[in-house]
Amino acid sequence: MGAVLRAAWLIAAKDVAIEWRTKTAFASGLVFAVLVLAVLFFSRDPTVVSSHDIAPGALWVTFTFAAMLGLNRAFLLEGELRGLDGILLSPAPRSAIFWGKFGGNLAFVGLIEAISILLFVPFYDVPIWLRFGELLLVIAMTTVAFVAVGTLLSAMVVRTRYAELMLPLLLLPFLVPPLVGGVQLTAGLLDGRPLSALSGWLKLIGAFDVAFVTLAALLFQVVLDE
Amino acid sequence: MRDRALRLAGVGRGITVLALLGLAGVYVRALKYTPLELSQGAAQKIFYVHVPAAWAALLSISVCGLLSVLYLWLKDRRIDLAAAASAEVGVAFGVVMLTTGPLWGKPIWGTWWTWDARLTSTLFLFLLFVGYIVLRGVLTDPGVRGRFSAVIGIMGLVLVPFIHLTVYLFRTLHPAPIVLKPSAPSLPSAMLATLLSSVGVFTLFYVGFVMQRYALGLLRELREEELAGAAR
Amino acid sequence: MPPSDPVIIATALSRRFAYRPVLVDVSLEVWRGEALLLVGPNGAGKTTLLRVLAGLLRPTAGHVERRAPIGMVGHEPMLYPALTARENLRFFARLHGVDTARVAELLEQVDLAHRAHDRIGTFSRGMLQRMAIARALVHEPALLLFDEPLSGLDAAASRALVALLAELRDRGTAMILVSHQLEMLRGVGTHIVRMAAGRLGTVDPLQGRDPVALFTALMREAS
Repeated sequence: MGAVLRAAWLIAAKDVAIEWRTKTAFASGLVFAVLVLAVLFFSRDPTVVSSHDIAPGALWVTFTFAAMLGLNRAFLLEGELRGLDGILLSPAPRSAIFWGKFGGNLAFVGLIEAISILLFVPFYDVPIWLRFGELLLVIAMTTVAFVAVGTLLSAMVVRTRYAELMLPLLLLPFLVPPLVGGVQLTAGLLDGRPLSALSGWLKLIGAFDVAFVTLAALLFQVVLDE
Repeated sequence: MRDRALRLAGVGRGITVLALLGLAGVYVRALKYTPLELSQGAAQKIFYVHVPAAWAALLSISVCGLLSVLYLWLKDRRIDLAAAASAEVGVAFGVVMLTTGPLWGKPIWGTWWTWDARLTSTLFLFLLFVGYIVLRGVLTDPGVRGRFSAVIGIMGLVLVPFIHLTVYLFRTLHPAPIVLKPSAPSLPSAMLATLLSSVGVFTLFYVGFVMQRYALGLLRELREEELAGAAR
Repeated sequence: MPPSDPVIIATALSRRFAYRPVLVDVSLEVWRGEALLLVGPNGAGKTTLLRVLAGLLRPTAGHVERRAPIGMVGHEPMLYPALTARENLRFFARLHGVDTARVAELLEQVDLAHRAHDRIGTFSRGMLQRMAIARALVHEPALLLFDEPLSGLDAAASRALVALLAELRDRGTAMILVSHQLEMLRGVGTHIVRMAAGRLGTVDPLQGRDPVALFTALMREAS
């Protein structure tokens, strides 16, 4: 168990170092986030649709699509000079590769989400500070859901010629339960409803997290084999 | 193995013909002998095709998922071929479901489509299995193809209850479940009988189609092997 | 050094790619201090065999028993272009549980110490190959697998590598070498085996004979 964590940490740290140095996925993710937030804000009729109403949807669309831009890069960088083979030749447990990639992806997506929220507040003028702790919990749980599935799927599609097309195609259906839950919870919290009233959604996302993180970790070994 | 595949295809064809006859019977029964529904009128009759198609699609996904688990365990390529056959047939039934749905919805709700939870979720499950088929098309090595398909199949199966729960939590335009719900189905018995016979017919269709598709897949693999062996 | 026990035992390995058989019933043992030259025409399955022995590829049938740590230099360097030479080796050292002090030593050994802080994405083919060798040696493996180790290396670097290989062999490291440049590996090889159409021939101890002459004879025999 310790060996897995140690190797996973090394792999995640390596990925973060590489992304920090090149910043390609991060830059495009950020540009995309700004674009989506701005377009959704300006494309409505302000007298009919208040920013308060579209805020939860706008936030989650931003998060998801910016995340998808970054998910493929985790495995693309392994393919350039076949670094992954070097890892497979080492005594690092294979499950550590999943946890390392998952951790690296969470860091990447988390950073984009944090910056998106900072941009979100001035644009959409919603009182997120009042429910910040609870919102953070909801965002964290939902992000874990789609990053877990996304990590597994990106490992599969990276070797196909149409990785950028296949990832959204395969990932989108898995986003429905956590995303619907995430938007409902965000909207509910921003409307001032107590978390206890929204417990159904919270339990749904929680169960989804447990089921799919476990499943992704188990099935990842299958995907690694050539 | 080739002869067995051909025989299986033949049996599958026979079952399909039987199912077609059954379908004709269901149509007659639904249109002539089943009472008209009070608020929806004649349009409601699509129910007898739409719901069984949904059932068959669900059956296809479940069988695909279970076979996927079996494949990862036993690694027999025939299991992979059967899972793929089930997925393809599921997509076909999904098309039926997604076309009869709007045809029913237009006269009743006044709109072809709405992004409510049930419709959206169904659409996405359908898209997942379309993705399954696309992925299979893109992967050439049968070992990789089998393993990756199995991963999607299993994940798809686990996704189904979550989608069901999402729909349940999100009350909408879509009729609340009248058949698959905790208390007894609230359908009058004549309608229930027609529905159940239609479900039976669609299940027969499922079996017939999967047999033929599986046989075809197996024959194709045998041919590929032959060609690869001959090329050396 | 007298050979003591096999570092790797492969039994009845088979492997297919998209219906084509690439390895057919391959069995092999390699002992400490042995340098096995693996020769054969293109498409014979040599690279596939090395990858299966290394554990990067699963055989369709058969079994590999690995009794010691393995290092490999393949067609690709197995490194990260965005990281520096030092960072790359530090990463792999840590993964292997080796003290990072070894990194400086390795960079010296492959003559890349002066480029330690440069991103390897900027390196030439030959420099990448030397990096790959450093990576393979990081944990001092008992068995080394080389797939065209001399490719991309200039004359000086080739001679340096050959000298290194001979030294490693004398210290008891086992190795399997696939190379089209047999003349350069004359002094290194202790055994030779031919592979064709997925099948392995019998391993022939060189015992002082010239591998190049033997190879030519083997090739003539086959056609």
